[in-house]
Amino acid sequence: MYSKIVNFDSLVLFMVGLPARGKTYVAQKVCRYLQWLSVSTKVFNVGNYRRKLHGAHQMHSFFDPHNTEGEIARREAAFEALNDMIKWFLEEDGTVAIFDATNSTRERRIMIIDHCKKYDVQVMFVESICQDESLILQNIMDVKLSSPDYKDMDPEQAAEDFRARISHYEEVYESVNETPSEKDFTYIKLINVGSQAVINMIQGYLQSRIVYYLMNLHILPRSIFFSRHGESVYNLEGKIGGDSSLSPRGRKYSLALPELIKANLGDQPLTVWTSTLKRTIETAKHLQYPKLQWKALDELDAGVCDGMTYEEIEAKYPEDYFNRDEDKFNYRYRGGESYRDVVYRLEPVIMELERQQNILIIGHQAILRCIYAYFQKLSQDDLPYIKIPLHTVIKLTPKAYTCHEDRYKIDIDAAEAGRKGNSFELLDHIKKRANAIKV
Amino acid sequence: MAAQLYKTTSGRLFHAGKIAIITVGYLRWLGVPTKVFSVGNYRRKAMGFVGKLPQNFFDFGNQEAAQSRRKLAIECLRDMIRWLEDGGQVGILDASNTTEERRREVYDILISEDIHPVFIESICDKQDIIEANIRSVKITSPDYIGWDREEAVKDYWKRINNHLGHYQTISDTSLSFVKMINVGERIIVNNVKGYLQSRIVFYLMNLHVSPRIIYFAQTGESLNEMSQKADAELNPEGIRYAHNLKNFLLTLREKEKKQRKEEGWGDEDERTLTIWTSARRRSYQTAKPFEDEGYIVKQRSSMAELNLGEADGLTVDEIKAKFPEEYEKKQQDLYHHRYPRAESYHDLAVRLESIILELEHEKNDVLIIAHETVLKCLYAYLFDQPEDEIPRNIIPKNYLIEIIPSAYGCRDTRMEIEYTVDQTVPSLTNPNCDV
Repeated sequence: MYSKIVNFDSLVLFMVGLPARGKTYVAQKVCRYLQWLSVSTKVFNVGNYRRKLHGAHQMHSFFDPHNTEGEIARREAAFEALNDMIKWFLEEDGTVAIFDATNSTRERRIMIIDHCKKYDVQVMFVESICQDESLILQNIMDVKLSSPDYKDMDPEQAAEDFRARISHYEEVYESVNETPSEKDFTYIKLINVGSQAVINMIQGYLQSRIVYYLMNLHILPRSIFFSRHGESVYNLEGKIGGDSSLSPRGRKYSLALPELIKANLGDQPLTVWTSTLKRTIETAKHLQYPKLQWKALDELDAGVCDGMTYEEIEAKYPEDYFNRDEDKFNYRYRGGESYRDVVYRLEPVIMELERQQNILIIGHQAILRCIYAYFQKLSQDDLPYIKIPLHTVIKLTPKAYTCHEDRYKIDIDAAEAGRKGNSFELLDHIKKRANAIKV
Repeated sequence: MAAQLYKTTSGRLFHAGKIAIITVGYLRWLGVPTKVFSVGNYRRKAMGFVGKLPQNFFDFGNQEAAQSRRKLAIECLRDMIRWLEDGGQVGILDASNTTEERRREVYDILISEDIHPVFIESICDKQDIIEANIRSVKITSPDYIGWDREEAVKDYWKRINNHLGHYQTISDTSLSFVKMINVGERIIVNNVKGYLQSRIVFYLMNLHVSPRIIYFAQTGESLNEMSQKADAELNPEGIRYAHNLKNFLLTLREKEKKQRKEEGWGDEDERTLTIWTSARRRSYQTAKPFEDEGYIVKQRSSMAELNLGEADGLTVDEIKAKFPEEYEKKQQDLYHHRYPRAESYHDLAVRLESIILELEHEKNDVLIIAHETVLKCLYAYLFDQPEDEIPRNIIPKNYLIEIIPSAYGCRDTRMEIEYTVDQTVPSLTNPNCDV
């Protein structure tokens, strides 16, 4: 009975661009965004195939277009990735594959299109062009030098080798353009991180969503802060939902919050987002920053169970109570919402978060779980159990492919409505995963 | 403040109409005050229709005419600035602005007033698209009332060709602009920042002009019509309604298809029908008979009815007794008012944005089986109604509304759904949602 978002046709996004133009960053972001929206998505990184087949530590000469041996080896890696990708579509019912490679020649792109046509897979090229030398340099320093290709190598030597690698690609690089062979291709070109975009022959709603998402990405340094509202009267009474005010301890938290934020941000600009419910607005009361209320940030609607304690729900709707345990992500309260519903409702919030710089969201548990899961790449199974404690500020700082996380607890006690026998400890799990992602 | 400047050329023939109208609808619909300032209207008001103008009025060589056109354009721009200063947010200047010089002039004026200009340029180099647009849109403009069709088409081509020689496409990358080429086949977005602007771009990307039909139908009756939160199943009457709706619509589609064939429309109308519902039982259960016949039914949780919050399950009298003040406030502002914990129509309209965009993008025919409040909002969007009319829209029960979008807006036909399935249980009364 649960709705799948849309039955999309299979689609491949082929990244196009010189090395160090942020292709992998874009690929990872789009992948995360779509996965979060329940679209089955996977990145196929040709560099990983190349390392597997031919080893890391290849010097730049390997990438020289005049080096026939290198050329054959790289083509082999691309084909292996392509085959795996097709297999994934056929056997694992994949929806969107992201093919992360340079795909920098017209010949290569035409070959790819012809190959995908055989399997009825739609193709869209995503080209990243960057003419800003300082951005390229920063990318090399942030990401490339820590790649397995340059493990144990002197950074300066590595940077020099990487530059040489780039120049090999530059020799043969052809941008996707309006030549007769490519003018009907579906593509988006991103020029200098969002300052210009060229969008060609976009078809279908999913493609336009992806394009819109890409246009909103930026890489300026910033932090996103999350805090639940201070302890509310309903928290004290163990009730869920409602629109109660803060408890005295909750008010104490609202008074302590400005200092913590100030200590962290200094004089940097910040915008505070709240829901339309009293407890978040009251928590933001003493913060001297521009504020915005979002209806979309209101707590998960518990439908007929709104305002009850978990004990009351168990007594009155025992079946629902246990069904929720079975599949908490998909469970929809009668007349209310599921976590899945909330994820869709939050999509515009995520889009706007991508566009913005420093933001503090004062929200609710279920809402912050969904947003947190987006940034920290947590699965739908884990999402409904993420610990977002009261009276704690979580700070996320986006890095190249991950988010750095800090948590600040303000020492004011708080009561939580909780369920017996449901003390999933995910914090360790999250930390482990965060470490695993940091390559 | 964000002002949208409408930059148009030969391609605008297509888009000026379509986008001007729908973009306005869209922005107004989001609760953003929007207004179109059309230089063409100023010109018509000041000098009369094309038939009354001197033959060479649109010639670029005609200095005198160029002067008066420029004067009108500036006057129009000034009016827009005044309107923006009085609280408007998005002004759309619908004018030609075909030269770099003119655009720079407009840009400088707006920047000096602290208004953010975004240029939207529509380019079309496919003769058949332009021709089709002239025939379907341009010659129906007030300029050509009483003209012979073919003469009007010829005259309009002449106007375009006059512009072409002097036309300069936008090349100044310091400006914020969007170029649409051949009705969205290609879009170039330059230096466009800000929430509204990026929404507009997304919206432009989703527009299309191929023919299709949108149907609206209310959900069937449920076992508990008083409370939405109860999320009750359909009652026997509701189930019968669902079958009747299916029979009625499929018969109608067959009939219309046959008719189009007789009129010689060929095979172009092989569009499939998809059904969209909310994730509420009475909505997706109403689509069940379609599903059983193999039609695709898509559930969208964002299409749930307006949430009545603490007023849910109450009769009008109970609401008056329990929330007397709120009840009064609601009568003052039906569109923005929220009962405690409830949504306003505005909240609902914002929530429906993704549905609207998807609907714009959809090329097949769609039947939307939804709740009265949702259909009121969607209807208002399609028919470009101001927001305060939304709560007053009438979406009758047991009716199918057929909506056909066209370049200058939509037209609708309302049909009572015939009962083809045996009716033995009397229908339950439907409480009014808009107390």
